[in-house]
Amino acid sequence: MGLPLFNASDDPGPSFLHFALRAGLVENPLGSGVEGRHATTVIAVRYVGGVVMVGDRQATSNYIASRDVRKIEAADRFTALAISGSAARGMEFIRMAQLSFEHYEKMTDTSLSLEGKANYLSPIIQRNNLGSPLMVIPLLAGWDPSHRDGRIFEYDGAGGCYERRDFATIGSGSPFAESALRLGFRADLDREAALELGALAIYEAGDNDPSTGGPDFVRNLFPMIITLDENGFTELPAEEVEARFVTINERRTQSQGIAGGSLR
Amino acid sequence: MSNYFYVSPEQLIKDRAEFAQKGIARGRSIVAAIYDVGVLMVAENPSASLNKISEIYDRIAFAGVGKYNEFDRLREAGIRWADGTGFTYSREDVDARALANYYAQHIGDMFTEGQKPLEVEVLVAQLGTAIRPTKLFRIAYEGTISDEPRFAVLGGDAETIKGRFSAAETDLEPLNVTLRNAVAALAGADRTIDVADLEVCVLQDTGGRRTFSRLTDERVAALLGT
Repeated sequence: MGLPLFNASDDPGPSFLHFALRAGLVENPLGSGVEGRHATTVIAVRYVGGVVMVGDRQATSNYIASRDVRKIEAADRFTALAISGSAARGMEFIRMAQLSFEHYEKMTDTSLSLEGKANYLSPIIQRNNLGSPLMVIPLLAGWDPSHRDGRIFEYDGAGGCYERRDFATIGSGSPFAESALRLGFRADLDREAALELGALAIYEAGDNDPSTGGPDFVRNLFPMIITLDENGFTELPAEEVEARFVTINERRTQSQGIAGGSLR
Repeated sequence: MSNYFYVSPEQLIKDRAEFAQKGIARGRSIVAAIYDVGVLMVAENPSASLNKISEIYDRIAFAGVGKYNEFDRLREAGIRWADGTGFTYSREDVDARALANYYAQHIGDMFTEGQKPLEVEVLVAQLGTAIRPTKLFRIAYEGTISDEPRFAVLGGDAETIKGRFSAAETDLEPLNVTLRNAVAALAGADRTIDVADLEVCVLQDTGGRRTFSRLTDERVAALLGT
């Protein structure tokens, strides 16, 4: 690629996607006839002072393709992105989002607002999903430094962006995770309670949805848990994640696989 | 009969060079220097928002002097080139030398073929890795590219500032010493520059992928010990 110079009248501005389309670095999606399923569960829960996200680690095609996939990534210091749907498109989507936010920051010397990031993703999702059966549904959560609040944005298949003030789920295990979250969510959740509820929601999804991986005690692989607060994106250390799932699992073992009348 | 006046190529180049030099000499200078664990760039810049130094990529920075609109377009093109190249191949394939060559070609083309030469001088700095060295590439208004071993000065008064800096700094020093020498070289003997009028940026490893940072006035004051 040569030096990309543009006239002021047709400059693509600080948007990486618009520049990449102009320079021919990305192609418009083509229909392929391959239908992917949303074999995943990722949840986001708001608490007072931030957002907790928990995601399973299993990649499923007709069989289990991988057990240690990372479906939640930091899009930048204060923002996390999770994906469900086509793995290839999802990875490209995360890369495009990460690069776009950084590109904007370098071009303009200011960060995009969290709402700006959420809106920027809408046409990218629309462009992918309406042009191809390889669907991607992301989930965006972040700490909003200008509103001093944790915020969650969910999307529909056509790219519609909706802010959620409580929690959001994506993927095939959503109905099970959502049930747990609906019963357990309170507006005054603190970080600890949100972590517990989030882990339980993923445990429920892993227990009921064949395409969602629960805690894997054989390989010592556990869902990933992250928090977003005024310190930015933090991934919980492996030992802490393990301890949380061991606790849930022991309770379930004692009650012979049922929740036993309460959220536990 | 049409009126063609013959102008010798020597005269043409001389006129264009004079024009570009005049434009560049109007602005303040920039010192870039390698210190013990990074690269420092210092500009005298009274504006807090119209920057002369900028991040291009994980380990690459840009600095420009002369006409703001001209070097800012080059800066934007550099960011686009780097992000585009990293997106197409891999982040580690983004090399400052390739970018410096593109700048040199473009600035050189504008010097000989443009309506007027660009009144800019730019610097591309790279913080080294295991596979790439720490480098400072300076590209002059006529497209000459030079690979500066330890430090580079851009701007009208470059030779004087260069002399002052090289006399003060003879070896790799820590950041605070290099910064003090750079600011002293920019100011000269009979002048001091207010911290608010300095734009100071570094490329230094801090554990993350991105190494560029813009130092706040408080941090600059602390490093200068004022």
